Amino acid sequence: MSTGAVSPQQPVVPLRHRLNIDAMTAEQLAAFGEAMTAAMGISDERGYNYQAGIHGLPLPISCGIAHGQPIFLPWHRAYLYFFELTLRDLQSEISLPWWDWTTQAAIPDAYSEAQVGGQPNPLYSAEVDPIALAQGARAGDVKAPRTVRFPGQPGSPPLPTAADVEKVLALPGFLDFTHQLEQLHNNVHVWVGGDNGHMGDIPFAAFDPIFWAHHTMIDRVWRIWQLRHPSASVPAALLDEALPPFAMTVAQTLDANTLGYDYAVQSVGGPAGG
Amino acid sequence: MDRFVSEPIHNPAHDEEAFQRADLVFYGVDHSGPSFEARVYFNQNAIDVSTPRDADTFAGSFTVFGHVGCTGDAGHCDVPTNPRDPFDRRPPHHLTPQTKTVIVTAALRRISDAELTISVIAIRPGPEVAEMVDALYFERFTLLTYS
Repeated sequence: MSTGAVSPQQPVVPLRHRLNIDAMTAEQLAAFGEAMTAAMGISDERGYNYQAGIHGLPLPISCGIAHGQPIFLPWHRAYLYFFELTLRDLQSEISLPWWDWTTQAAIPDAYSEAQVGGQPNPLYSAEVDPIALAQGARAGDVKAPRTVRFPGQPGSPPLPTAADVEKVLALPGFLDFTHQLEQLHNNVHVWVGGDNGHMGDIPFAAFDPIFWAHHTMIDRVWRIWQLRHPSASVPAALLDEALPPFAMTVAQTLDANTLGYDYAVQSVGGPAGG
Repeated sequence: MDRFVSEPIHNPAHDEEAFQRADLVFYGVDHSGPSFEARVYFNQNAIDVSTPRDADTFAGSFTVFGHVGCTGDAGHCDVPTNPRDPFDRRPPHHLTPQTKTVIVTAALRRISDAELTISVIAIRPGPEVAEMVDALYFERFTLLTYS
């Protein structure tokens, strides 16, 4: 899709497209990095630490209902949506990239380099909210003050393959689909985090910048499933459920185009000639 | 519990070859601790961290994405056990035990024995593979087949 509309009263407008991180142009990647860097420098609710903290620590806000529950996908779609908007307030042209772990069974290059252009790479690591660190330590979960990864350590569950994803996409029922997709999602978290990396456990996972690329991939798989199973949907009993802390219901997350985005592998173009 | 080995149960594949799908469902899975992968094997009770995932006995796995302990004040992580007030519209407690479904269709078709044992080992990655001690908890399991 290339256009969407919030309601019949609103004009149809161009959608923004979330791209494969490995297919982004240097300019697109630089703009995304600038937005992340800017967000990491803000300490209020517009900033990276606030957004990351919604997923776990610091309390009292958390994603307590977002895992192992049938609203796993809607909750995280809302999470990505609001995070993307906060980034777009800082850099209007960006969209969240996805990491396709089915084709690249390694941390993408954009997230692997400690520095870019002589500056710290905001996709490599992020500072963790000190209050979150203190709360985690109180429970015995002592984490490094900046995010770290230990990808693919011995004993890691495997990253999902294209065949794994195809099996999940073939499941016709939403509850079955979301349950199995969440399992693939869990595997990626543990694969990246390894032994005490931030991605590996719920309280600190979203502080790692690669969290967002991982979840954008998960959201993309849901979007593909929706297109393959147009008559299937979330059970009616769930549609009016709220997705705290986001001012959004399950029903409001179902159509990515009404949220202003879709997925494309690449986006290239230029000005009109003449 | 540490490693889990079930009592022998009837193997539905022994007399129901026509099933289209088989699910091994674990109910009441605890996710309050650290993350780990629970690897499941059929009819292989002697398993450890080196038992390969590509063994014929490997049935599948589920991964617990954990909360790593209680970060709140006293009582924060106590899952309510009282019957829920029908007017209580709050979301469920964040540590309400989960259900994990492992699709075991192919693995079950490989087992022709009349009886089946289910073994589960919890593994956490690290510089050296480690078996998780005191991390794997679930209330019961059910093996379901569908025609």
